[in-house]
Amino acid sequence: MESLSDTLWDVVICGTGLQQSLLALALSRSDKKVLHIDPHDYYGGQDAALSLQEAESWVADVEAGKEPSFRSALITKPDGSTGLGFPRAYSLALSPQLIHARSALLEQLVSSRAYRQVEFLAVGSFFIFNPAQDPSQKPTLARIPSTREDVFLTTAIPTKAKRGLMKFLKFVLDYESSPQTDLWQPDAEAPLTEFLSRQFKMDTELQTYIITLSLSLDGKITTKDGLAVIRRHLSSMGMYGPGFAAIYPKWGGLSEIAQISCRAGAVGGAVYMLGTGIKAMKEGEDPIEVELTSGDVIKTRSLVRSGNDATGQIETARLVAVVGSPIKSLFEATAEGAPTPAVAVVAFPAGSLSTPGGKASEYPAYVSVHSSDTGECPNGQSVLYMTTLATSESQEILDQALDSFLGAVGDDQAPQCLYKLQYKRLEGSTQSPAHGSIFDFTIPSTSLSFNDSTLEPVRDAWKMVMGDAAVDAEYMQFTDREGAAEDDDL
Amino acid sequence: MASDDSLPTLKLLLIGPSGAGKSALLTRYCDDEFEPDSSTATIGIDFKIKVLNVRGKPYRLTLFDTAGQERFRTLSTSFYRGAHGVLLVYDISTRASFLGMEKWFAEAEANTVEGVALYLVGAKLDKAEHNREVTPEEGRALAEAHGALFCEVSAKSRENVRRPFVEIVDHIVEDPALIHAAKTGRAAGSVTLDSNSEGGYLPNCSC
Ligand SMILES: Nc1nc2c(ncn2[C@@H]2O[C@H](COP(=O)(O)OP(=O)(O)OP(=O)(O)O)[C@@H](O)[C@H]2O)c(=O)[nH]1
Ligand SMILES: [Mg+2]
Repeated sequence: MESLSDTLWDVVICGTGLQQSLLALALSRSDKKVLHIDPHDYYGGQDAALSLQEAESWVADVEAGKEPSFRSALITKPDGSTGLGFPRAYSLALSPQLIHARSALLEQLVSSRAYRQVEFLAVGSFFIFNPAQDPSQKPTLARIPSTREDVFLTTAIPTKAKRGLMKFLKFVLDYESSPQTDLWQPDAEAPLTEFLSRQFKMDTELQTYIITLSLSLDGKITTKDGLAVIRRHLSSMGMYGPGFAAIYPKWGGLSEIAQISCRAGAVGGAVYMLGTGIKAMKEGEDPIEVELTSGDVIKTRSLVRSGNDATGQIETARLVAVVGSPIKSLFEATAEGAPTPAVAVVAFPAGSLSTPGGKASEYPAYVSVHSSDTGECPNGQSVLYMTTLATSESQEILDQALDSFLGAVGDDQAPQCLYKLQYKRLEGSTQSPAHGSIFDFTIPSTSLSFNDSTLEPVRDAWKMVMGDAAVDAEYMQFTDREGAAEDDDL
Repeated sequence: MASDDSLPTLKLLLIGPSGAGKSALLTRYCDDEFEPDSSTATIGIDFKIKVLNVRGKPYRLTLFDTAGQERFRTLSTSFYRGAHGVLLVYDISTRASFLGMEKWFAEAEANTVEGVALYLVGAKLDKAEHNREVTPEEGRALAEAHGALFCEVSAKSRENVRRPFVEIVDHIVEDPALIHAAKTGRAAGSVTLDSNSEGGYLPNCSC
């Protein structure tokens, strides 16, 4: 084959995070010459799923400042805990977002036929944590009714409140049409909670239900944004089967989507090199000359990189915990014919937790609970992904959330925590993506549910690489590949 | 027939060092072609689909040919998922290619499910007479140590070319656990993206 440096590449993509990988997928049927590299030894970059060994070296890299969007990473194994499986049996997702059925990401995965390589699992119930009323009692988890029938049947909500809730649910499905808009537009930028209380007479408890469904990190989502995400949630419900609104890719969430996208790129002829980054480059030249860390000097018409995430606007605190129990009670199918969910979401409303010093939590905390069906841990265990906005107390709050959660789901004995990985992550970088033939991905501020705005820069990068050959209507529209040969009989 | 989606599908991977003869073997098996002195290393991933009848039943084989060159590490962990069998190919006329096989076995074993069918293939059998650097006994012993099947083939002379494919498929379909996975493909709780159903807040909405 031609050597790397003899080829004039149309694009060098550096990084195999979700966005860069989707770009490789988008280019996989073009005749563009694509060189796709990643300084890491694994696929997925900031969206990777890590085995326990990989997590260990990742923590070391974060602490050495090699991962600009992460900091304060630490692994701890609680004293006396036993039962952790072998390191490769785990696949801890750095991006465990759930994906709503009405996400444009799923649309693109279907139209590009890439979805066939991914196994999706149902995200089941959403719960709200209720602290114990007094020390003799256990904290509890209340399930948020998820379908009309559910709301109708639930005994947890008084009939009068139900009416307000039903009215709101009906309203939100059509909130963008004309008479409804008058109701909310004047309050568009005000907090959703105020709107809910004024227009639908919802009490704090019902407001909390709605805020939880919005997965708002600060709990102060605006009416405009809140209505949009609630509508997405409700209209996603039942789309791919009864009883669930969102799905999750098996084996580590967005990491898996990145990997199958890279594979599509490879099948399309892109050249892949892991453990290789950009060492130096001569900008302002056409073609751009890039020196790789492997020593190769290559020429390319364009270059796509990951943004320097240290410019992020939002910082979240994360805690990934492996727990020695399947926590079966969270993974019950709630509708007839529904698949067994592999993911459940538990929200800790603002104020429901407190630090050891007695300070109440300022923001909500969320826990995505993953069963072993996700392939992220061995049978009999589960993985908790906990998130809250970073503050000086956020780590303590997450530890408290973990303890409270384990106390709420245990019968006689709280399940044991076997392993903890904590870190902070910067999100929502702001720098401008494109300059000439160089494109830097900006990371939209991620939420707990996949945000479609992540996809827009991918399309922009695709346009830059394709130039005049970019036909919008053909973006991510592919047929199944057939590599059929003659039959063989035995 | 070959495009029939309804047939049970088996996923087979060919892995091994660069130049071992993976692409040549696959091209000979699927297209009955052979290019002597080809210098085209596989860079991405190639795949071919072939329908193979075993014991009177047709199976749709998806055969993935991968790049052996270390720098083009196209094999992500997700690549191995769902694989029913892995063919590990070395070159009997290059001792170094054989010595590297432990690493390839380790990678295959680490990324696949227990019970996956492994098949060790010694390629370029036509060179046995003058250039053999690995004995068949060595090959067989390594295969046995990993619970793998074994044979030697030549893409050039066609000798044994069908054998590894037929035997690995035969081995897979004999294993109820693996073949069950082949039939249903996915776990019980998984979601299919082409289905549509009711049960939500929305009556069947067309948006
Ligand atoms: N004599 C002989 N040569 C062979 C045979 N099979 C392959 N070759 C030659 O060996 C060289 C390498 O074969 P390939 O099939 O391209 O090797 P590969 O394993 O696909 O290598 P990568 O794609 O780099 O991983 C080519 O020049 C082939 O012509 C064989 O059976 N006999
Ligand atoms: Mg090859």
